[in-house]
Amino acid sequence: MAVTALPRSEAGLGDRQRALADFLKTASGADAVEISRLELLSGGAIQENWGVDASFDGGQLRGQQRLVLRTDATTGVPSSLGRVEEFAVLKAAFAAGVSVPEPLFACADKAVLGKPFFVMPRVAGSAAGRPITLDPALEPARPALVERLGRELARLQTIRPPRADLAFLPPYDGPLGQIAEFRAYLDLHPNPRPVLEWALRWAATHLPDPLPPVLCHRDFRTGNYLVDGLRLTAILDWEFAGWGDPDEDIGWLCCKGWRFGRLDREAGGIAEHAPLYRGYEAESGRTLDPARVRFWEIIANIRWAIIALQQSDRYLLGGARSLSTAITGRRATECELELLMLLDPAGVAAHA
Amino acid sequence: MRDLPRSLDLLALARELLLDELAPLLPPERRRDAHLIATVMAIMGREASSGEEWQDEVKQVVMAFYGEIGPHPNPLPACGEDEEHVLCRFAADLRNGAFETSPSRAAAARAILWRLTIEKLREGNPQFLATNGFRKADRQST
Repeated sequence: MAVTALPRSEAGLGDRQRALADFLKTASGADAVEISRLELLSGGAIQENWGVDASFDGGQLRGQQRLVLRTDATTGVPSSLGRVEEFAVLKAAFAAGVSVPEPLFACADKAVLGKPFFVMPRVAGSAAGRPITLDPALEPARPALVERLGRELARLQTIRPPRADLAFLPPYDGPLGQIAEFRAYLDLHPNPRPVLEWALRWAATHLPDPLPPVLCHRDFRTGNYLVDGLRLTAILDWEFAGWGDPDEDIGWLCCKGWRFGRLDREAGGIAEHAPLYRGYEAESGRTLDPARVRFWEIIANIRWAIIALQQSDRYLLGGARSLSTAITGRRATECELELLMLLDPAGVAAHA
Repeated sequence: MRDLPRSLDLLALARELLLDELAPLLPPERRRDAHLIATVMAIMGREASSGEEWQDEVKQVVMAFYGEIGPHPNPLPACGEDEEHVLCRFAADLRNGAFETSPSRAAAARAILWRLTIEKLREGNPQFLATNGFRKADRQST
């Protein structure tokens, strides 16, 4: 995927900043837009997020605005939505009452920035995982934070197929479809992964009873939501969203890879399962089945391992020259250890 | 024949220099990159120290698990011409549940999975092993 990166400095107003200002002027109905600052924000392994400070003369955003422009990085992963599609998902989540930045404008025209993008307000808070899991000042607020995450998930799951505005999302064919996709990836991978094969076999032979599909975020985890002080302010990064099982996002949030130094706290490194379940069940009216959630925690670890391998593929096959991207594939073995710990408790005692 | 100091010793010194003296001089947003480089240097040091020994041992264990091993009747596609590679055969058999009817074979297969995973993490991330309580497996962490 050949794309042109925006300039990485704040200095000057290059052609692309002018084109962006013109787009914002038209989209917002302003008489004029002046961009005073354009900076690449940290985070975003697959997408680029740019902070845009701009002054709007008239129109729906009249005055000084702090915005975020979200666009593609130079290489991506196959399962990621396009930016215009992600914008549609964000609109649906916003309308359902999920805490997300209000989606403002999307642009599919590559003539503007060289690649599609969308724009939203810059919401206060930090997504950095370790402060969220380890900062002592957050300790009293953590159970409430996790309970809130459960409620957010329940609100998200009020979005169910069919939806004309989300018609681009492929139909959900159950975990067997996901297992087939994982195996298809492993079929092409140059190194055998016996642990993943063993775990996939377990999953294929322990399928839970099906539930009606819902909209899943598919990257709902610590590191992808903003916390400002003690308060959750926004769920971010909707690029992997799709129809799926109601327990899939819960399993992903509880995956050990997202606990940021607090491996003992199952729910995103923040708290035990209980407050997460409490928030979800209160909002959704559905009682969670721990065995079902465990199945999706197994799938989450398999999926995280495969995403990690795909990240390294961006270096090995896609030409990405990022060290952090290239080394991510090594984390697949961490997921394999967790799979062994989850599926073979007797082995833990033998080796620990 | 090679001159001293050994490259592994130089690598360890270079890593110390990077972490102790250079990283603090970097702007905060680039310090993570310095730590990533240090991580790569540590992995390289551990892999060079252990050589091929554990890989050969795991291969021998898998071969002993099978006894005499021939071409797999239904190999994984990525194995290609290297389909006799023992781990490819092992992975293909695990996909098909080949050992599930024999508790002793299933247990032996799981033991191989543990060995393989722990050996990889000893080189790649021994701290992760220790954090998960695998202290006796963490025999050569640095």
